[in-house]
Amino acid sequence: MSSSDAEEALCQIRDQVARLQHRYATPERLKALLDQTVGFDRALWQAAVEQGQPAIAVPEHAGGMGMGWPGLAALMEEVGKAVVSLPLIATPVVAEALLASDDEAPAARYLAPLVSGELIACVAFAEPGQTSPLQRPELACSGDTLNGSKAAAAFAAVADLALVHADADGASQLMLVPLDQPGVTRRTQPGLDNARAHAALQFRDAKAYPLLRGDAAIGKIMARVALATAFEQIGGASACLACARGYALERKAFGQPIGRFQAIKHKLVDMYWRIEIARGCALDALDALEGGNPLWPALAAAARLAAIEAYDFAARENIQTHGAMGVTWEAMPHHYYRRARCLALELGSTQAWREYLLAEAGFDAAAA
Amino acid sequence: MDFSLDPADEAFRDEVRQFLREKLPADIAERSRRGYHPLLADVQAWTRIVYDHGWPGPNWPAEWGGCGWTHLRQFIFEEECALAGAPQLDVASFRMFGPLIMTFGSDALKNRYRDPILRGETCWGQGFSEPNAGSDLGALTTRAVREGDEYVINGRKIWTTNAHVANVLCVLARTNPESRRGFSMIIVDPKAPGVTIRPIIDIGEGHSLNETIFEDVRTPVDNLIGEEGQGWHYAKSLLDNERASSAEIPANKFNLMKLRQMAQRKRGDGTRLIDDPGFAARLARLEIDLQALEFLTLRALTEKAGGTRLPVGSLLKVRGSELFQKTGEMQLEALGDYVSYAYPPPEQSPHGIAAWPPGPAFAPGVVADFMYRRATTIYGGANEVQRQIIARSFLEL
Repeated sequence: MSSSDAEEALCQIRDQVARLQHRYATPERLKALLDQTVGFDRALWQAAVEQGQPAIAVPEHAGGMGMGWPGLAALMEEVGKAVVSLPLIATPVVAEALLASDDEAPAARYLAPLVSGELIACVAFAEPGQTSPLQRPELACSGDTLNGSKAAAAFAAVADLALVHADADGASQLMLVPLDQPGVTRRTQPGLDNARAHAALQFRDAKAYPLLRGDAAIGKIMARVALATAFEQIGGASACLACARGYALERKAFGQPIGRFQAIKHKLVDMYWRIEIARGCALDALDALEGGNPLWPALAAAARLAAIEAYDFAARENIQTHGAMGVTWEAMPHHYYRRARCLALELGSTQAWREYLLAEAGFDAAAA
Repeated sequence: MDFSLDPADEAFRDEVRQFLREKLPADIAERSRRGYHPLLADVQAWTRIVYDHGWPGPNWPAEWGGCGWTHLRQFIFEEECALAGAPQLDVASFRMFGPLIMTFGSDALKNRYRDPILRGETCWGQGFSEPNAGSDLGALTTRAVREGDEYVINGRKIWTTNAHVANVLCVLARTNPESRRGFSMIIVDPKAPGVTIRPIIDIGEGHSLNETIFEDVRTPVDNLIGEEGQGWHYAKSLLDNERASSAEIPANKFNLMKLRQMAQRKRGDGTRLIDDPGFAARLARLEIDLQALEFLTLRALTEKAGGTRLPVGSLLKVRGSELFQKTGEMQLEALGDYVSYAYPPPEQSPHGIAAWPPGPAFAPGVVADFMYRRATTIYGGANEVQRQIIARSFLEL
């Protein structure tokens, strides 16, 4: 595919997704998702599947569209803008792991239904009480058997498969677990953002497929998830800026639109530069990943940190710009505020990612 | 300036602590430790306990029937109460409408409201903001027209905290359409014909805010507070009181203490968040902010007692509300993955903590507080407007 063809394909993705979301991401539907313990919009997922969204980033030889992480990035930015929640990142991540694994059996069994969207996957790395999913797991793995637990992970409540990491005699082992089996218990509980369909997972002699081994391989998987998520965060932050700008132009106080006041102007500018810095970092990381630059995981970590900062700030200041209206259930800003915090915490705190960045960039934190 | 306590004040602090140990009901303390919006029943019950102990109106002067404590003792009392988990005495009753009536109201109004306020029996709904007059309060359009011995009120108020449970509403309405600030402060019975109260559900799915609509609502002219046309002046002094107390030093202190405890807890892998230099540095920053804010408040109180009146309400409001939000954000971070869980608010679960998940004891309420606290930089006049006030009145810009 030439670069202009690729660009056009990305534009098409954006348009398609935006149209879909216009139909499904209505305030009523989004609020209904927050009102239930497990908020998952099946109809939207079905529509996304019909558009082939789970296949976008999967290589063509594996039955996907072969648009890679640039395709996923375009997709996730739109998802973030509409503040919808879809399990689109886990599918290509699991597909990569399946393709990289020596064991062909799980790929033969799961690759096609994952790419077609018939099965839903989730990534569950964080463990209860830990603040970083990059820490050595306590979930124990012996051969193909898992015992232990994972903390609440996005989409685990509705997923068919979970990608987890586990400890196998002191080494990290990546495992794919079919969730519909007696050895797996899912626990759900209302939370900060019910539209994430969170569930904590418990494994008692659960059967799983060992895929890859080693901390480095697992770190890179997290970095891929983080990079795609950064685009979702950037999309969300941009939507906050657009929303705040629209309100600032429309709402009047002291005889003029509040957007005429310097305090509000500067607030919007501060949102804007944070978003553009995050976008710069994320595009840089994407470029490095595509170009095979070994520094890409460090750049992905930087993109995550900048995207967290941008989304948190934009979500917060969007509420502030809306005044009292911003703290009502009825208005939209709190959806972004919830999502911003969840996306910031689901993959581990900024502290953990700072350390990861340092390590990947060649700085030994312990020696410094 | 010397802020150290003399032995008599230290003895007073001990007395307050002993009172709290003996009289603060455990269930009330447990609920308010959780950071949810305090239950009206708890606030009222606690006010009554304080009253029955012989401490009516801890922040009221003796001539109003209050305790007549020095500002320093009021501060000590509030701080000890907050650290023990006692709910704050109702700000609207004790800091806003009560003082307003005791300062400007007729003898009849003073007699009607003084004792019920001190006993914790009043709940006030503040009818100031309107859909098109929030921070720009001067733009309000609710009208009160005098007809014989009554005012007839028409208009729409919004963000009326507690209107749905209030037994008294106080409405800021235009009584002189000619004058730009021809407002008056008028008391209205929330049950009066023509009053419609609609709930506004907040960001945390709680209900304390309302929209209050007045359609030909009649209220006796005796319900006018102070003089007709002076409402703007009264509202300003009252909002300054609201802002000064919105620095919420005691509550900020309690919140920071909670954050410190959260950060000192051993995590799954045996490490503690407080040992992380990045986190510790940010925590230290908040501690410094709190100290500075506390001294600012004490200074303001001392100077106020000495006769000069620093208009520090705006300053305290800006710093206090921002500190509150930053502490909440760090608490959420300290909660780690437990943030994925919400816990039922205390009124839904008598024992407070759900059977599952087995999160740390401090987890309940952290998320609810994190959501609700976004309002602190908005209510009582948005912080942007407070900064303008500081620029204009302090810096003469």
